[in-house]
Amino acid sequence: MASETPPNESGTRLLMRPLNRLEMLSEQAYAYVLLLPAAILLGAIAFYPLVRTLTFSLRADDVFGADPFGKFVGFDNYIELLSGQALIPNQFVDPAMNEPLLRQALIVTLLFAVLSVFFETLIGFGQALILNQDFRGRRWVRVAIIIPWAVPVVIQAMIFWLMFNPTIGWGTDFMQWLGVFGDNPLANTSNSFIIVLVADIWKTSAFMALLILAGLQSVDRSLYDVARVSGASPWQQFKLITMPIVLPALLVAMLFRTMDAMRIYGVIDASTGCEQVPTLTCLVISSFNARRWASASAVAFLTAIVIGIMVLFYIWQFRRTEGGAI
Amino acid sequence: MADTETHPDVEAQQHVHQQAGEPDLDRGMVEGWAARMISNPDRAYRAAFYVATFFFLVTTLFPFYWLFMIAISGDNVSNVGVLTPATPVEPGAFTEIFTQLPFHRFVFNSFLIATVATVLVLFVASLAGYVFGRLNFRGKQPLLLLVLVTSFFPPAAFFVPLNRLFNTNVEVLRPIMQDGSLYNTPQAIFLPLSALFLPLSIFILMTFYSQIPDGLEDAARVEGTTRLGALFRVIVPLSAPGVATAGVLTFISVYNEYFFSSLMTDGRAQNWAPMLEGVLGFRGQFEVDYHLMAAASIVAVLPVAILVVVAQEKIVSGLTAGAVKE
Repeated sequence: MASETPPNESGTRLLMRPLNRLEMLSEQAYAYVLLLPAAILLGAIAFYPLVRTLTFSLRADDVFGADPFGKFVGFDNYIELLSGQALIPNQFVDPAMNEPLLRQALIVTLLFAVLSVFFETLIGFGQALILNQDFRGRRWVRVAIIIPWAVPVVIQAMIFWLMFNPTIGWGTDFMQWLGVFGDNPLANTSNSFIIVLVADIWKTSAFMALLILAGLQSVDRSLYDVARVSGASPWQQFKLITMPIVLPALLVAMLFRTMDAMRIYGVIDASTGCEQVPTLTCLVISSFNARRWASASAVAFLTAIVIGIMVLFYIWQFRRTEGGAI
Repeated sequence: MADTETHPDVEAQQHVHQQAGEPDLDRGMVEGWAARMISNPDRAYRAAFYVATFFFLVTTLFPFYWLFMIAISGDNVSNVGVLTPATPVEPGAFTEIFTQLPFHRFVFNSFLIATVATVLVLFVASLAGYVFGRLNFRGKQPLLLLVLVTSFFPPAAFFVPLNRLFNTNVEVLRPIMQDGSLYNTPQAIFLPLSALFLPLSIFILMTFYSQIPDGLEDAARVEGTTRLGALFRVIVPLSAPGVATAGVLTFISVYNEYFFSSLMTDGRAQNWAPMLEGVLGFRGQFEVDYHLMAAASIVAVLPVAILVVVAQEKIVSGLTAGAVKE
């Protein structure tokens, strides 16, 4: 490619010189030059902070010092966190949960991730099956289903906060009528957990639906004709044709949702507050606000590790289904 | 299967079915309905389809209807019903949000941050997407994997060092920034968010750019276009749908983001606090203006709702393309 370079204009225009040099580079070097902006952005905003988080987490908290980091303590923060002795601020009001703080946050986050992904998969599948049909007004049904996904987190939180607010919301009355909730669900840990869960399912089922829909549309329609001729019921068609073909797309969608659910923060902070539903990210922020920056870093890094383990688990599952069943 | 109209033949067939399957039995309404379902399962599936569609439409759209009811309830908001506003109806909240707090300024800040982030992401991701989609070079797979890896770290893992970095007073920045630090500036929000949402755009653009035939690029080069010229004058315009997709997704994601948006400013409009601080601002310490919060939420959700209606195909294709790449 370098041979096609226009003749050098004797370097008169200073501005053109770097551009001309770009023409002479080998493909390899050209690739690296073009990757430079992305490398700078990701390096400065992602990789550098990540390494710093790790190094911060290896130091002691110094709450009263000018610099909130004390001396190097190695993995002490992690050991204290995992054994439940860490001095992260006591933000959880529900006395019933006598667990150490990190374990609480870990349980809440994992429970949230599992439950939300489970229900989102079910509902997303339902939505995808509907959108996969041909009917008049399909475009508008799709818009209606996507809209919650596009709603800003703060407004999602607002909707559910208002809905379960004892003064004006009808959600509390309804749930009390069902016998599930107490008087003020926004000040109760387990009720708040359910509210946040419903809020998340409401918002992100659409994402699941779209990814599953993409899988559904890759199914060859003639397979259904064959199945119908051989007398398969719609349920059998679903189980034997749809499901195996959609499964890879479904696993990818679940992976994305799990990663996202593990970092849940905004909807909690803006609706029930981190006191009620303490997730890992909540713990990072509350430790940070208490000037326990080293502990905050350690929790943040632990969160990253937990997510990493989840990703590996999914990839392992994915490999297995690719190689085995299909 | 779920056509809104039934083909006349099918209808006739169903009729025959019913007459054959149901001799003169005297059934109640429910029983008769159930019997028809059993003799003709397609009918049951169609009924299930309509019920499910209706259910999803109500659950996704009803919250917005209810927000509107709150917003027009005025000061009597505590009397708001589930389906009706409190009387008398006062639509004044939609102007009051701009006088009580500078809500337009908050929304403007959000727009500015989202726009700058989108432009930055599109430029950087175009270069990177071109490299990954069209060039062959050593280290391509590992670098691509590295980009993917950044997308699954939780934002909390970057937060402590970034916050520290943005709060550092840098002498060089003193002439441009008020105190030489990035805290309370739009940069403190759009830089982290650009990095966070960059990987998705890289994957989307990579897919689109790789589909442009080589011949078109070669032709442009033979005509004497520079390498960068070929990218920005041939490949990018030809991939316009892909660029629009990445742009729409980035804009919505940045506009909706909560974590960095809530933590990188002190929450005042003149300090570039985004829209979420405006919405939460109506939840004062002593009194809560429910109707203003609802009105502000509706105003803030309108831009993304319009974007979804206009660009739904792009959103669908972008989300699925980005995820399937994995």
